[in-house]
Amino acid sequence: MDLTVNEKRVLATLAGKTSCTDAELAELLESPAESAVQWSHLCADRGLVVVEKQVEKTAKLTEEGEKYAAEGLPERQVLNTIEGTIPMKELTAHPLSRIAIGWLRKKNWIVMDKGMVSVNHEVADVIGDDEKALKELSADAAGTADLVKRGLAVIEEAVSWNIKITPEGKALADAGLDLREEVGTLTRDQILSGEWKNLPLRRYSVDKLPKRIYGGRFHPNQQILDEIRDLLFEMGFTEFHGSIVQNAFWNFDALYQPQDHPAREMQDTFHLREELPLPEGWEQVRDIHMNGGNTGSTGWGGDWNPEISKKCVLRTHSTSLSIQHLAKNPNPPLKAFSISRVYRRETIDPTHLPEFEQLEGIVMDEGLTFGHLLGFFKEFFGRMGFEEVRFRPGYFPYTEPSVEPEVWVDGLGWVELGGAGIFRKEVTEPWGIKCPVLAWGLGVSRVSMLRMGLKDLRQLYKSDIDWIRNSPARRV
Amino acid sequence: MPIVKLNNEYLTRLTRVDIQTIRDNLPMMGSEVEREEEEQTDVQYFPNRPDLYSAEGTARALRGYLGVETGLPKYSVKPSGITFTVDENLKDIRPYLGSAVIRNVHMDNAMIESIMGLQESLHWAVGRGRKKVAIGIHDLDKIEGPFYYKAAEKSLEFVPLDYDVPMSMEQILDEHPKGKAYAKIVRDFPLYPLISDAKGNVCSFPPIINGELTRVTEDTHNILLDVTGIEPRAVMVAVNILCTAFVEMGADVETVEVDGVVMPSLAPTERVVSVDACRKLTGIFELTAPMMAELLEKMRFGCEVIDEDAVRVFVPCYRSDIMHDCDIYEDVAIAYGYDKIPATLPPSFTVGKPHPVQKLYSTVRNVMVGLQFIENTPFTLTSETVSYAMMNREENKKALHVLHPISEDQTIIRTDILPMLMESLSINRSRELPQKIFACGDVVEDMETYPKMAAASIHAGADFSEVYAVVDSFCQMISIPYEVKEGDDPAFIPGRCGAVFCCGKQIGVFGEISPVVLTAFGLEQPTCAFELDLRGFVDAE
Repeated sequence: MDLTVNEKRVLATLAGKTSCTDAELAELLESPAESAVQWSHLCADRGLVVVEKQVEKTAKLTEEGEKYAAEGLPERQVLNTIEGTIPMKELTAHPLSRIAIGWLRKKNWIVMDKGMVSVNHEVADVIGDDEKALKELSADAAGTADLVKRGLAVIEEAVSWNIKITPEGKALADAGLDLREEVGTLTRDQILSGEWKNLPLRRYSVDKLPKRIYGGRFHPNQQILDEIRDLLFEMGFTEFHGSIVQNAFWNFDALYQPQDHPAREMQDTFHLREELPLPEGWEQVRDIHMNGGNTGSTGWGGDWNPEISKKCVLRTHSTSLSIQHLAKNPNPPLKAFSISRVYRRETIDPTHLPEFEQLEGIVMDEGLTFGHLLGFFKEFFGRMGFEEVRFRPGYFPYTEPSVEPEVWVDGLGWVELGGAGIFRKEVTEPWGIKCPVLAWGLGVSRVSMLRMGLKDLRQLYKSDIDWIRNSPARRV
Repeated sequence: MPIVKLNNEYLTRLTRVDIQTIRDNLPMMGSEVEREEEEQTDVQYFPNRPDLYSAEGTARALRGYLGVETGLPKYSVKPSGITFTVDENLKDIRPYLGSAVIRNVHMDNAMIESIMGLQESLHWAVGRGRKKVAIGIHDLDKIEGPFYYKAAEKSLEFVPLDYDVPMSMEQILDEHPKGKAYAKIVRDFPLYPLISDAKGNVCSFPPIINGELTRVTEDTHNILLDVTGIEPRAVMVAVNILCTAFVEMGADVETVEVDGVVMPSLAPTERVVSVDACRKLTGIFELTAPMMAELLEKMRFGCEVIDEDAVRVFVPCYRSDIMHDCDIYEDVAIAYGYDKIPATLPPSFTVGKPHPVQKLYSTVRNVMVGLQFIENTPFTLTSETVSYAMMNREENKKALHVLHPISEDQTIIRTDILPMLMESLSINRSRELPQKIFACGDVVEDMETYPKMAAASIHAGADFSEVYAVVDSFCQMISIPYEVKEGDDPAFIPGRCGAVFCCGKQIGVFGEISPVVLTAFGLEQPTCAFELDLRGFVDAE
């Protein structure tokens, strides 16, 4: 049996005795009484000693109690002043009457008749238990409880322990105990000299949990974003990155969003005072809006104002980056993506934030069809852990056909995760792009919420540090 | 996007299909069933299909999609003999007018609600809040042609809808609920648009309010439609959608002559589309010309197969979304069913690669996590209060301000990341210390988006030496050749602040956060922190 040195000392001390109190044991061990009791309990857990709790009660008079012990209880003092039959008024004149009258009546020591009071000698002449206890106080005297109730005495409890070695403990002690001090930390010298072999090394309890180390942590949301990035790298996608500030040209006009489109208005988009110049070739975009230009489209009709197009906004979607990436890289094949913060003028609540992450992807090559876009989604969502995917028709001004992919989530049903489609000619034509471009946007914050079971999107951006500390690490 | 309330009984009567079949199929036609109730179904439609914003339009499309009645809906119009004159003075105010007469109308309550709902949705989707297009529907039997669309004096009086006393047009803008809501569209013009009949009775004050005189009720049997606006194509879209909805109701449409132009024609437009182009776009490889024609007829187009590759398509007058052949190809795909299209991976071979900025962020994250810091991903929208005032710093003149902030907490785009970390420490005041946190990400100064990182450590022993050691270790691992000079950033304690330089340029700051700043964020323990501009350390693309 592995005992600590203190447990061994307890056994060695008790071995020659029938029993001892905690105070005696403490003195013998030259340790505080609490330690002696604690070590004894540890030995008791192993069945080597028996520890009995003993509670000693002592009664003690309060200050008020001491006073009455000398002078008698108030009711006795008042009673002694009654001679014959007196009016009640006379009785109430006594300074102790306020306490005494209640007790006199309760103890039935007086008789009252039409405002006159006389002593009920039959009862009053017997000395009560409380009065006896007041004279000779002890914790178990019959009247003590009444005194305690009246606040004239208190019971104090003193706990002591009686400790006795068991036959098993005795056998162990008789077999001899190694009482050398245990070693906590090994030293270099002990390791090199080989002395460690003979040292009583302190054993640790596996039941005592360690203090948790948190260390450095990747943010849980970043872990999911990195998982998506890695997945796309594996599928051959190049990453792009761009400016948070875009002019309306790249954010809206180049994506064939009409200038009076409601999404462009103040209540949906963060507008800025700043402007950025239009890129070369903007006139073609203007023509496409007004009459379709050379795309075979009718265009939106109406006016198109380059001044509106120069005004800057905080990008409302990363499609503004996709189209610029395409304009720079118009030759196939191209597979590219970006995960970027996007900005919408939304009031903060658990499911809406004015900024969040959007995943945006494009695939450009000869011979690509809408079926390839659907095929990409099945693969991508499957790898993200969403087995069932369905496709609903969607609408975006810059894609045709358009689709809203939905994934099945147990307990929620079909959840829409984004939008996609093939870029319209009105979008690709000005930049010399001759191949079909599959494009998709995905609200990754929503994926994060589903994956982590979050109820409040704000947790992703204003995080409780304990939530991050306790989140599992990502499998890589 | 508009939510259209469809009366179940009326919708099933028009569609000739039970309500459950309708609800099951609506999503696959490109809409979302928002709410299902005993008496009505609320459906959210996309903004490109205003023709669906009524029970009549929805039923017409559903009958095709479900095969109850396919092909082009035929519309015949005959002249009403009614004429309209448009005042030239409206040229700079609200120049365009579309009109039609609807006869033999027998509307019950559900029909009136459907038409009113359609009018409201069109005001939003096509009319852009009545600015671009506004619609007036009048009881024709209360008035008499010819009609006049004119620019009138603001003082002109008539009894507006829902009132029983005459009001001047100016008064309407000030006092009538609709007047107050839409006043800004016309307020600044010297004269206001007005429609009146042969006897000078006022029909409406577009785009604000109709007259009480021509109110439409269940007893209305003949209707005069006025659609005014600033864009002629949008005006005719609204006329066509309304007229064809009335036809679904069983009414007849008659033409009106507006300054000699007869309208509406309700005739389809024609396009010849390619079967091969459709196959290539959609990936429906089994598509043939007859099959394409059949699918398009389900979507209520008229079709004539010309040859193996060509189909002549008649586009109904209400389909304003058909701008390009690809819009027709999408309808082929919808009719075919997206889930039936063979879904295969794109065969394109390409090599994946991270962007240099994101690569740098990944490196920063790895290094900082190795140095025992916990990552934060704070907002990039912040305020001058948090970014500068609470940091005891001067306002950064290069910060970009959003023009219409939604709250006081989000008025600028961050120029620094450290203030966001201080906020995070503040949120986590009750959590166990030490807390060591960092964040990296984009900031914006002037028009430039660029990468920064910051870190902070709060605990009883946090000091200058701790953060100096972290900065040193970080710079060494990221390969930033740095020098340190004494810093004077007011966010830090004087004499306990270092300025980080690289190639002669200051790229960062570190030290012990000033108690002025700590107190502002409600923090009670020593905090040390640093922030670095990472612009110079991004690999070439």
